[in-house]
Amino acid sequence: MLAGEKLQQFKAFISNTSREEQVWMNGYLTAVITGQQAATAPQAAKKITIAYGTETGNSKKLATSFAARAKKEGIRTKLVGLDQYPAAALSTEEYFLTVISTHGEGEPPEAAKNFYDHIHKNGFKIPQVKFGVLALGDTAYPLFCKTGEDVDRQLQQLGASRIAPLQKCDTDYEEQAEKWFTEILQKINKESTAEVPAVNSVPVKKAATKQVYKGSILSNINLTGRGSTKKTYHIEIATEAPYLPGDSIAIVPANDLLLVQEIISLTGLAPNREITWRNETVTVEELLSQKAGIVYLLEKTVTQYAALAEAPIPAQRSDLAHLLRNYPLKNETQYETVLQQLTPIAPRIYNIASSPVAHEGAVHITVLQDLFTVNETVQHGLCTAYLEQKKPGDEISFFVQPNKRFRLPDADKDIIMIGPGTGIAPFRSFVAERDATGASGKNWLFFAETDFTTDFYYQAEWQTWFSTDVLTRVSLAFGNSSEEPFEIQHKILQQAASLFEWMENGAYVYLCGEKDPMSKNAEAALLSVIGQEGNMTDEAAKQYFETLKTTGRYMKDVY
Amino acid sequence: MSNKKLSAVEHIKTASKGLRGTLEQSLGDEITGAVREADHALIKFHGMYEQDDRDQRQERAEKKLDKLYSFMVRLRIPGGSMTAEQWIAANHIAGDYSTGVIKITTRQTIQLHGILKHQIKPTLKDFDKVKLDSIAACGDVNRNVACASFPAQLPVHEQVKAYADKISKMLLPKTRAYYELWLDEEKIDEYNETDPLYEDRYLPRKFKIGIAIPPNNDVDVLTNDLGLIAIIENGELKGFNIAVGGGLSTTYGNPDTYARLATVIGFTDTEEKTLKAVYEVLTVQRDFGNRSDRKLARLKYTVDNMGVDAFTAELEKRCGFALQTAQPFEFTERKDETGWHQDYKGNWHYTLFVENGRVTDDETTALKTALLEVAETKKSAFRFTSNQNIMLTDIAPANKELISSILSKYNITTQQENTSALRKNSMACVALPTCPLALAEAQRYLPSFIDKAELLLAKHHLSANDIILRMTGCPNGCARPYAAEIGLTGTATGEYNLYIGGDREGLRLNRLYREKLAEPAILEELDVLFGAYSSKKQEGESFGNFAIREKLVVND
Repeated sequence: MLAGEKLQQFKAFISNTSREEQVWMNGYLTAVITGQQAATAPQAAKKITIAYGTETGNSKKLATSFAARAKKEGIRTKLVGLDQYPAAALSTEEYFLTVISTHGEGEPPEAAKNFYDHIHKNGFKIPQVKFGVLALGDTAYPLFCKTGEDVDRQLQQLGASRIAPLQKCDTDYEEQAEKWFTEILQKINKESTAEVPAVNSVPVKKAATKQVYKGSILSNINLTGRGSTKKTYHIEIATEAPYLPGDSIAIVPANDLLLVQEIISLTGLAPNREITWRNETVTVEELLSQKAGIVYLLEKTVTQYAALAEAPIPAQRSDLAHLLRNYPLKNETQYETVLQQLTPIAPRIYNIASSPVAHEGAVHITVLQDLFTVNETVQHGLCTAYLEQKKPGDEISFFVQPNKRFRLPDADKDIIMIGPGTGIAPFRSFVAERDATGASGKNWLFFAETDFTTDFYYQAEWQTWFSTDVLTRVSLAFGNSSEEPFEIQHKILQQAASLFEWMENGAYVYLCGEKDPMSKNAEAALLSVIGQEGNMTDEAAKQYFETLKTTGRYMKDVY
Repeated sequence: MSNKKLSAVEHIKTASKGLRGTLEQSLGDEITGAVREADHALIKFHGMYEQDDRDQRQERAEKKLDKLYSFMVRLRIPGGSMTAEQWIAANHIAGDYSTGVIKITTRQTIQLHGILKHQIKPTLKDFDKVKLDSIAACGDVNRNVACASFPAQLPVHEQVKAYADKISKMLLPKTRAYYELWLDEEKIDEYNETDPLYEDRYLPRKFKIGIAIPPNNDVDVLTNDLGLIAIIENGELKGFNIAVGGGLSTTYGNPDTYARLATVIGFTDTEEKTLKAVYEVLTVQRDFGNRSDRKLARLKYTVDNMGVDAFTAELEKRCGFALQTAQPFEFTERKDETGWHQDYKGNWHYTLFVENGRVTDDETTALKTALLEVAETKKSAFRFTSNQNIMLTDIAPANKELISSILSKYNITTQQENTSALRKNSMACVALPTCPLALAEAQRYLPSFIDKAELLLAKHHLSANDIILRMTGCPNGCARPYAAEIGLTGTATGEYNLYIGGDREGLRLNRLYREKLAEPAILEELDVLFGAYSSKKQEGESFGNFAIREKLVVND
């Protein structure tokens, strides 16, 4: 325990450090305590970001080959297109390398426009950033490499320091570019010679079950392209809630406020009237807005209402407002009784799509808009409707639902991930985590959806992982690309030989998504694969599959 | 020849194993709708361009989706003629796999846009069923051969048209790659294929051939790398004048690039000699063209670098005969005569103006449906013109009424009659959203621009004037803007360079008049120019000639 001034200094110091630095200090102190301190002062793990702004694809190609090289050398590397890059993230970068071309008459490529404009704004500084700019251009144009020059100059004006001088390249850029990057790698390696505590070894605080966390929405985007038949939202929530890849979060959606107001006025009860509901005392407004389900009531609740109202109400699911409008009750006591009979809003569970290492300080989820029909009108699922309206800055409450039966294996093990539809979410978490921690195991993704052009969730990210060899194989099934039905099970069967080979080599198999019929079809296909490729009887194949389950090499999370 | 390092595309070509490259693997890459980078260059030789929907780029990036890639397939149709059966097939293929629009190009062929990677094979297989292919429709090879497209007034016109087919066949690459890759023909050992013309390097750049029949220069013959001008006397084909080194593409900010009209270098009087000369022009270009800088690789630069005389001498050496002195010829116009015309056999032809060459059904006219109905009668063949229009051809006198009634039923006849001269004489390239080179709109914008320009012409009593106006979204010249009386080339979103002073016959390029104008400024300039032209023009003087005489631009 530190006392007095020491504690003050320590707290002041800690408050100025990033989470990553704290993780490092934790490892450093552990090493000091156990007497394993390295001879030289250890430094934090090097993290570089390589961002490309491309018009013809050359910048992307070059940046991708750089990233693959850096990863091979064990450097934590993030590869990102400038069109995908949140410019505000510059303030969190350590090494920031950019490969950028010049378009037309000295203009930045379309894809880099936002980034280019951002760094030309005043009012912020990024002194911690070490940067390098590789500019691609064509000497046939008068303003050769102008965009690269601009970016290089602006980053310096923002207080960042150059790790290497601006490198301008003509159309035959390969050799110069390689040389430039080799020099940068050498510098980075020189700056980080000491061993570092592995990120993995830091114990993650166990999430206390049901601890409610608050987070604020960072972004909420519909992942599907124009013309898609569905809406699937990618929601990022800023939070310090601890979690592991494979976990889910549970969200209790709030009811629609206008509907709540209408119900209150239909009952005539005072909004702040306190009533007892399931062993707690709450106000009418609180109950209706945050605690109790008011749409699509259970059949049982409707029957109870019918008894109270002494009315011939059909025993089927219905909305509270509909009942109140059509079958008014007699007095306040009856209205209060009705409210007391309401059941709690069920929390909705979503697989976490982010990695605590790669997406520090945030939880991402993938939410399919839920549409269903009641009494011939299309209704929105309560929770998806609630989430759909969330805007950046809005608050949201949730708790973490750990899933010990859906965990990544050791870093050197291969994994096969089968996740059609939003079942893809935990696998984005898996691969991002394995990318960020440099896990050496191979990764194979199976995904299925309706339309390749509009419904391939996180396509650009999978492509980046694929081009840097993090993602080893991808097998996709899109319904409308063939006349025959083509679903996940067909793709599994198509890949039988390789799948079985991976299983035989010890791969872990994961399945996530819809329970019925998807998971059943997928499991039946896996069984055929085993039987067919292993020359086994049905019984033997079942036994093989059973062993995968009991040894923890087959894990599923279906709903 | 240049000693400089070969450009990247040159290495791709020679390493391509007969244009196969890694196209087969590219088709199997599930994670992307694109082909691999090197295949990007190779797939052009198979008649396709990889494109993406630029309107959706930013939006898709935010959605973490890759660009929306698709392919444009362009057919090889020498001389632009098609049977009714082929049109029916194209109509259905367009509906099944592409955006549905059939685009008539400025080189007498058609192209379909928006074909996804997995739809390429079904598309090409369906075309193959009606004997159509897209071989060498793009790429560093001889492209679709264009030929004058008015109805044959004389038997000799058909004789000239036959050359388009012969030349196209003679200059096809010898590789079977197209049949293997797209039509599942059994693989052969590619190393046994030899191609004496293209070898393994193909040409340094695209190569275009056009054949004109004076006095109409509808094919814009001098804008081609190689132009053949038919010399006809007393209804007999005497031979062809040979013109080399035309080409319009330029690059903004690169002063070494320029538009150039072909130079007439001589005359050949037999079929054998004509074909030989054509062939050897390609071999000279193959051996002397610039292979290090693709922006300076067209035949026009080869001709100027060598000098016209040295080029001709090299050509004659390879031919084994000297070219004769070029024969006199005269062009008087470049437009398509729309409406009904009769050929020498008495058959009827109906030339139909198609705005921007886009055959589709829109709010006002069901053109695509009408043409399908015409084709289904099997009483008419189809032909495309270099002005992006369509001809319904070879209609027997007995069937004229039937075809005419279909056109009336769909209101086509009236719509044609109500189309202004300016609109009929205008063209635009594809540009946004699919063309990767476009800096500004063209085909999506031209119709509304013409609406405004028509008002100016009406104001100055020039509505009947056949002014040729062409617009492109970049300086590469696909809609031949530099060979127009008014040329507009996009420089940035909503901005265009304005060129004037080209002649009506296609023998003089225009000149840059104003730079980087937005629409209001363009209209203001045109208002002033039309005003001056209307009040000061001489009898029969075209707008382009007026601009030169008045020294509005310098004719150097």
